Amino acid sequence: MSGGSKHAGRKPNFWAGMGLAIFAFLIALNTTGAINRTTTLILLAIPIFMVVLYVRALGRQPRTNACAGMASIRYTRGIAISSAAYLVGLGTAMSVWRNYDPSTAVTWLLAMLPIAPIFWMIYVMGRYIVEETDEYLRHRAVLASLVGLGFVLAIGSFWGFLETFELVPHVPGWWAVPIWAVGMGLGQGWLALRDRAGGEE
Amino acid sequence: MKNRLKVLRAERSWSQQDLAERLEVSRQSVNAIETGKYDPSLPLAFRIAETFGMSIEAIFLRDPAALPGENGQVEKEG
Repeated sequence: MSGGSKHAGRKPNFWAGMGLAIFAFLIALNTTGAINRTTTLILLAIPIFMVVLYVRALGRQPRTNACAGMASIRYTRGIAISSAAYLVGLGTAMSVWRNYDPSTAVTWLLAMLPIAPIFWMIYVMGRYIVEETDEYLRHRAVLASLVGLGFVLAIGSFWGFLETFELVPHVPGWWAVPIWAVGMGLGQGWLALRDRAGGEE
Repeated sequence: MKNRLKVLRAERSWSQQDLAERLEVSRQSVNAIETGKYDPSLPLAFRIAETFGMSIEAIFLRDPAALPGENGQVEKEG
């Protein structure tokens, strides 16, 4: 139990960093052919477990600022859990779909496994904007969301027309959410840099 | 919109974090308002004024170049 209590003292960022590092390592191993898909899916349980530890550590964090609060913690927790659910859902759906011959009805259900967590993620993002009581942080989140939306519209139109003229291969529509998330992340990064350049103390 | 937050804070030896806790906002909010990157809402402006015991006009200063003059033209002061 001493190990457990030692782990209990870890900060959330430690588990987030560990989870991301292990996830990237597994993807690299899979991409280079060092491990097969089934092994990758099984080992993905490790970064998913890190997400659980991350969420638990987040809940234990002392509140240094009463306002810095619940909305962003709920947001981070919601995104972490829905991302883990997405990985599990996608892995399960792909494994069953590739290795068995499911009926159309079952295939519909399998397709829902990664879709439902994505809908959950979108809801979590929307709820954060509604619940955030700090008006500047809310303003930043809205701006970053608009940057993400701009990415989706620009890249979607660009690629869509190239696809229409048969210049590039077809890309599945589910890329919209990852592109939006990357755009939103870049937007947040740009705003954070701008804040820092403004002379934060 | 310009403001005197930094000066008023310095007079009281408050850090951005101190002021943020008094206003119940994040430190990033104080920084953004102080550096003129974000104009606070009217309720927050009132809270800032109450925290310093001053009127809003004594803390936030209108940018002369942004004042509309007659016929929609820019009015220059001074």
